[in-house]
Amino acid sequence: MRRWWRGLGADRRTARQEVDFWRLQALFNNFKRILSLNNAILEDMAKMERALGGEYIFDRAFLESSVSNIAHRVHHVVYSLNALTGNRHVGLYDRYQDIRTLLDDILADNIRTLADEAVLPLRAIGWEHESLVGMDLVCLAALPASSRIVPMDGLAVTAEGIRALELADAGGADSDQGPRLAEARSALREQLRRLATAQPGGPVAVVASRIDGDESPLQEMGAFLLGLDLDRREVSLVRQDGPADAVAERMVLADPGPDRTEEEDGEGECSAAELLLHGLERIAQLVGETPAPAGPHPAKSALFVHPQPPPMLTGTIRTRPLPGNPLAAEDGLMVEAAPFPEAPGDCFLLRRTHPFELLRSHIAARPAGHRFADNRPASAASAEQPHLRRGSALVEPGLLRDLAETAMLLERLFGAPLEIRWQLGSDGVCRLARLLPLACGLEPGPGQGAAESGEAVPVCQGGQTGQSGVGAGPVVHVDETTDPETFVAGAVAVARYASPDLTPILQRAAALVTEFGSAAGHLATVARELRLPSIFGLPDALDLLPPGTEVTVDGGETTIYGGIVEAMLRLDAMGMELTPQDREYRMLRRLLRFILPLHLLYPQLPDCTAENCRSFHDIIHFCHERAVEELAHFQERRPGLDTLRTRLLELDLPLDIRVLDVGGGIRPGSDLRLRPDRIESAPFAAFLEGLTDPRARNPEVPSLGLRDILAGVPRSMGLLAAPVDALGANLAIVGGEYLNLSLRLGYHFSVIDAYLGEDASRNHVYFRFVGGLADPERRGRRARFVAQVLAAMEFKTSVKGDLVVARLKLMEPDLLRAALLALGALTAFTRQQDINMRSEADSAQRFAAFAADFLLPFGARGLREAGDEVS
Amino acid sequence: MVTNEAAAPLRILILDDEPIVCKRLKPAFQKLGHTVETFTDSGQALARLGEAVFDLVITDLKMEGADGLQILNGAKASSPATQVIVITGFATLETAKESYRKGAFDFVAKPFKLRDILDCVKRIEDRRRGPAAESGQ
Repeated sequence: MRRWWRGLGADRRTARQEVDFWRLQALFNNFKRILSLNNAILEDMAKMERALGGEYIFDRAFLESSVSNIAHRVHHVVYSLNALTGNRHVGLYDRYQDIRTLLDDILADNIRTLADEAVLPLRAIGWEHESLVGMDLVCLAALPASSRIVPMDGLAVTAEGIRALELADAGGADSDQGPRLAEARSALREQLRRLATAQPGGPVAVVASRIDGDESPLQEMGAFLLGLDLDRREVSLVRQDGPADAVAERMVLADPGPDRTEEEDGEGECSAAELLLHGLERIAQLVGETPAPAGPHPAKSALFVHPQPPPMLTGTIRTRPLPGNPLAAEDGLMVEAAPFPEAPGDCFLLRRTHPFELLRSHIAARPAGHRFADNRPASAASAEQPHLRRGSALVEPGLLRDLAETAMLLERLFGAPLEIRWQLGSDGVCRLARLLPLACGLEPGPGQGAAESGEAVPVCQGGQTGQSGVGAGPVVHVDETTDPETFVAGAVAVARYASPDLTPILQRAAALVTEFGSAAGHLATVARELRLPSIFGLPDALDLLPPGTEVTVDGGETTIYGGIVEAMLRLDAMGMELTPQDREYRMLRRLLRFILPLHLLYPQLPDCTAENCRSFHDIIHFCHERAVEELAHFQERRPGLDTLRTRLLELDLPLDIRVLDVGGGIRPGSDLRLRPDRIESAPFAAFLEGLTDPRARNPEVPSLGLRDILAGVPRSMGLLAAPVDALGANLAIVGGEYLNLSLRLGYHFSVIDAYLGEDASRNHVYFRFVGGLADPERRGRRARFVAQVLAAMEFKTSVKGDLVVARLKLMEPDLLRAALLALGALTAFTRQQDINMRSEADSAQRFAAFAADFLLPFGARGLREAGDEVS
Repeated sequence: MVTNEAAAPLRILILDDEPIVCKRLKPAFQKLGHTVETFTDSGQALARLGEAVFDLVITDLKMEGADGLQILNGAKASSPATQVIVITGFATLETAKESYRKGAFDFVAKPFKLRDILDCVKRIEDRRRGPAAESGQ
């Protein structure tokens, strides 16, 4: 009888185990599906992004199939997360559908849904507004804030704004479009008031551009000047270019208009704003009357509106010389300057690469009375004596260099040669007013440049293309500590690591090369945003490229040549690369806006919700985080899953870890007692190597004070009093490239979820660390120590009390392996370290010791005090 | 780019109904010293193949009007020595086999890296130079 009961009990246990295993398998299947789908999506995203960087030649069909594949997989991820969590995230389906609809609209060239602002201050314009305001304003707005050359502080009346204002002429105020018109007028008044306050009563310049051409996405439509007479409530409109019978009108603001507010009836800037609005409505009408080219969509135009105080100097920069210019015997960048538009001006030809030196110049004779820089007037003698026709240049060399440097950045962003209009104000600030595509007839003839570039000598080759294109200049070695202000503009930045800290340098560089890092990383994304020729992961780049050496970097070919190879720079400008001038580039960039950006960086923040997912990347990141979190807590949330057949790992440590293999994690035929050398899971093997490293063992006997014990009692008693099932064991769920580890070591509790394979785009580590036996101050110190180590390894780390949460993604296998090894060592090292961390000095000393042993693969950053890296 | 890989300049015809492909390929070959004509209309390309002999034709597969295989036939009919590279965004094993069967030199799936096509062309040049060059000697 007793045997029968025992037997029945055994049967019951077996059946329960079977069910548990089945449930666990279902759990993990969903989790693994999310991981593998996420990885496939990240690969597709990376391919799209690399296509944007010019690495692939593609067509529209590629964009359509990429969107279709990614969307299908994202939908599957959302489904799998809901299957994993019991439908706790059904709101994600709505976000998925919203984004999918936007992407389909972009592919159908229906981009009106992307943004609908009627007016935008220039400084608020980003690439996402390109379809509303045109590429010129996007490029102007992208100029770095610290630049000595700034854009005019103006505003854009967008394509939507023009559409709304056109309604004013068509009696739209009384139609069902009335609210749209009123809304646009209201937004414009607000911005115009700001503009009028900045320059009370002064004239305002307005530039109209057509922004929808497929082959030529930016075309000049006209330039206007609005003059205000506040006393007469009158605005004058003068067309500054175009035919001889150009518009010149005076409009009196007689009718306040139906949607005027009382506030706007006042004097001063409010009236000025109203007059300007009146003038802009007239310009919108004129723009609307301009015949549009035939096409499936209505023509789109935008206005750039900015104050126009009288300038000291006006001029143009042409990033390529026009044929016929006497100075254009050699290639270069042409700067022209004159005291006023019709005056004889100076002309300068500068080199297009660092140091942008002057190659040639033509200085016009100054008219009598002209004041030179030393304030002495020009005499009338030069009029009669031609040999005296000289004068000091209007533009000083420093400003010429700055103009050249800025022009080259703008050309790179724009993707084609440019004509740039600039003005020097009485305040000494140089402002850019207008960008225009420059038709300079660059077309390679048969073999043109081939011979010259064929003589180029490669210095090194390898790595991955971040952004294709050619850049040249002297080599400057940079790292995270380099001050961007001291970086030589137009130099080639060479770094060991592709650290995000290098971002500000990229705006001033001519090219970027890194020894480590991949084209899938953050810095590569920035390089593509800036269209900066770049190579990532080029071995020994620092040694092969000594500081000061002049080199030419071909990002597409991942090759670096000695010297400045002018022929390659010239050929690069001949349109082989994918640029913003190409319809496919613009469409891809619009698509990526809803696919690639990651807005939900911190899953522990309250705004990390399904509703706040604004891109496919947000959705899959959200799903990944929620799935990891579900697994990190599965032992507590699913206490029934404690009966599974696991193997006990035999370690030379007072630590029991049970191992559950979900496929390829341990060598086939292993015993129930498992030796570490039977582990085949790459991430677990790396972790164990660190965990068992003798250097990670604490040589000191921890000094446990009564205060520590008392402080730990409620926590430890709470843990000890918990049911065994809820407390869980140390459990490692392993696959060949996967690890999910819940670990209690002393009073610390950590969870590691990791994927380590050969493909960097799939790799990740999630790490959570909590607990400890010590007073709160020491526990907090310990948490900061852990976070410091994690930050040194480039983990995104957050600390809340003694809880540390950290994530690492997209790492090269070797570095991720080193990170897991360091995590293993960290786990052993911190065992009761909080007991010893009596002071910040203690903590710093221990960090230095740990970094010397385990953080060397992460370079100097790992040895640096990294306390400020932790959020 | 190292360009000393080019031997005698080639006469190249590029056909793709997506202008971006022609736009990006043309200067890459011009840069190497080759003569390039581009077409986005397969009828016009066929007509041109009837007028002039090209060393190399790079053609899209799926187009309105004559498709890539018809272009391949046209090119070979005009000059059997003409080499043809087929590029397509709808690559399948069947279309690849069909292309090779009809005499295509290579079959490249879109999207592709410029280097992929340049390597193809280099092999064609090596073949034109003779067996020694082809074996890399």
